[in-house]
Amino acid sequence: MAINWPTRAAEVLNEEPLVIKNDKFWYHIHSYGGWGKFFQGLRAKKLLATRCANPKCAEKRLWLPPRAECPDCWHDMEWVEAPQVGTIFTHSTVTYPGELFRLAPGTPLISVELEGVCTKLMSWLKDGKPAFGMKVKAVFNTAKPTNTILDLAWVPA
Amino acid sequence: MIRFGPGNLRIPKFEKPVYVVAGGLTDYRKKYPEKNTCQLCTEALRMAVEENDLKVDPEKFRRMVNWCVYSQFADHFGDQLLAAAKIHDYLGFDPLGNVEIKTGGATGGSAVLAAAQAIASGYANCVPVVGWERMDEVTTKVGNSYIASAACKDFESELGWMYAAYYALMAQRYQYENSVPHETLAKIAVKNRLHAYYSPFAQNPGKYTVEDVLKNEIVSDPLTFLECCVMSVGAAVLILADEETAHKLTDKPVQLKAICGGSHTLRTADRRNMPILLLPNETEATYKEYFQGRRHEWPGFSSFLAARMAAYLAYNMAGIKDPVEDFDVLETHDAFTISDVQTYEDIGLRPYGRGHEFIDSGDAYFDGRLPTNLSGGLIGTMHAVGATGVFQLVEVLWQLQGKYDKFHGDPKMWTRYGKKKPADWKSLQAKNPKRGCAISHAGTGSHVTCAIMEKP
Repeated sequence: MAINWPTRAAEVLNEEPLVIKNDKFWYHIHSYGGWGKFFQGLRAKKLLATRCANPKCAEKRLWLPPRAECPDCWHDMEWVEAPQVGTIFTHSTVTYPGELFRLAPGTPLISVELEGVCTKLMSWLKDGKPAFGMKVKAVFNTAKPTNTILDLAWVPA
Repeated sequence: MIRFGPGNLRIPKFEKPVYVVAGGLTDYRKKYPEKNTCQLCTEALRMAVEENDLKVDPEKFRRMVNWCVYSQFADHFGDQLLAAAKIHDYLGFDPLGNVEIKTGGATGGSAVLAAAQAIASGYANCVPVVGWERMDEVTTKVGNSYIASAACKDFESELGWMYAAYYALMAQRYQYENSVPHETLAKIAVKNRLHAYYSPFAQNPGKYTVEDVLKNEIVSDPLTFLECCVMSVGAAVLILADEETAHKLTDKPVQLKAICGGSHTLRTADRRNMPILLLPNETEATYKEYFQGRRHEWPGFSSFLAARMAAYLAYNMAGIKDPVEDFDVLETHDAFTISDVQTYEDIGLRPYGRGHEFIDSGDAYFDGRLPTNLSGGLIGTMHAVGATGVFQLVEVLWQLQGKYDKFHGDPKMWTRYGKKKPADWKSLQAKNPKRGCAISHAGTGSHVTCAIMEKP
């Protein structure tokens, strides 16, 4: 029995030179592994960071985003709640975001400084106008979580 | 704190001297439906082999090659995994061994580093480095999402899916700490687009004013469209050889005195402070007053430790004492105006906090002490990512060989790409340059290479 030609044809965008359109429809499976607890924590309005559990580790810093293993000694880390009030370290309002951005253009992106945390967590400001040193508090998307970093946002404290 | 152990700051060494003999480019366009990627790479290789006054014919050259290095940033863009195998075949180099290098925006620099390592060790003696990127298969918005896949997908990419925004966060903080006038940043965009105006290869040339740049639409504040690099399709080729082979190939070999790499966290957020790593032209006293005396709060959010590390190693490897004095031409990775100012400081053109003086003093201009991005850079000429670091070194090579006019001034070069040489074209050939440098840069500073070439 003869095999049929494909039923789905690629659209011709230009004839000379020839350009066709290849469709792609599929999803990626994103495994958080040892960092999953952070996103589960957001659902419970918790900001979970990690600290090295090795008593001999010289640094023992509080990491947020969390790390499952310590970058200084490779020992396992333990989960610690980070403060939910911090200050804006830097900010930029993104007028032209990329294709996959799920928030509205004009969303202020912020980096938040939290006491005791060794990083400047990148996030977004849900309400208000951003300014350097502005005090902000964490808010959480618990109603219909995306289970991404977008479930955490900040508002003026 | 980042603490260096005795092995961490070892100055790299080539066991054999490494030479650069020839370079080739395509022109760079937003869309290039007329030519597929294999053709673009062939075109750049043909220019390198056939138009660089080599002493051997193409057939003989092919028989001299013994290793190839390929340079492409994102399989996402080309939609062809193992593209290097296909290009290697179309270039006629099978069954020679080859590798494809990937370090984001610094891919081109890293690819040349890998080729240099092959030559320096004696593994190979004639190596073409072929770089390309095909960024016209998706819309600009999707392209920006693809590029933002080179941010941390777990904790950052979702925040904008836009690299310009990640640089804008750094820019805002840099400005908060250093208060550089936006006019100074705009001058970089004006300068590089003007340099691009004299290049037949350029995608986004133009005679703009500072006011044009400042009034331009904002992508992510404070960066305007005119302050951001282009997204390109195109290829670039650089040919490396050992000393004996180099002299068989050309009367004008240029020595690659050093090429070194540094790195830092993919997330800017995770950068821990440390005391400033000093370059040969800096001392403890240089930073006595820096950042209100808080010299240990470095690199913070607005300096690239990867660039400082690469420059530290390369300067010490090549015996550079003062980059502004010792270099005659420089190509920086001007992806954004702000990152260019940051880089001036990281590579020691000015101390930290004073990078803007490199522009305001006039040093960076064609008539200045260290003409920078005479090629037009990433803002004016091209950013076909995998080709970029290779393109920079091709332009530096031609400057050192005195071939700027040959490749940029011949009216036939312009007609080749369907363009007309401007009536007010001006030569940007630097006056008898001896030494040039190129900085290749990835992410928000995740990988940086520093290459130094010198005329024997």
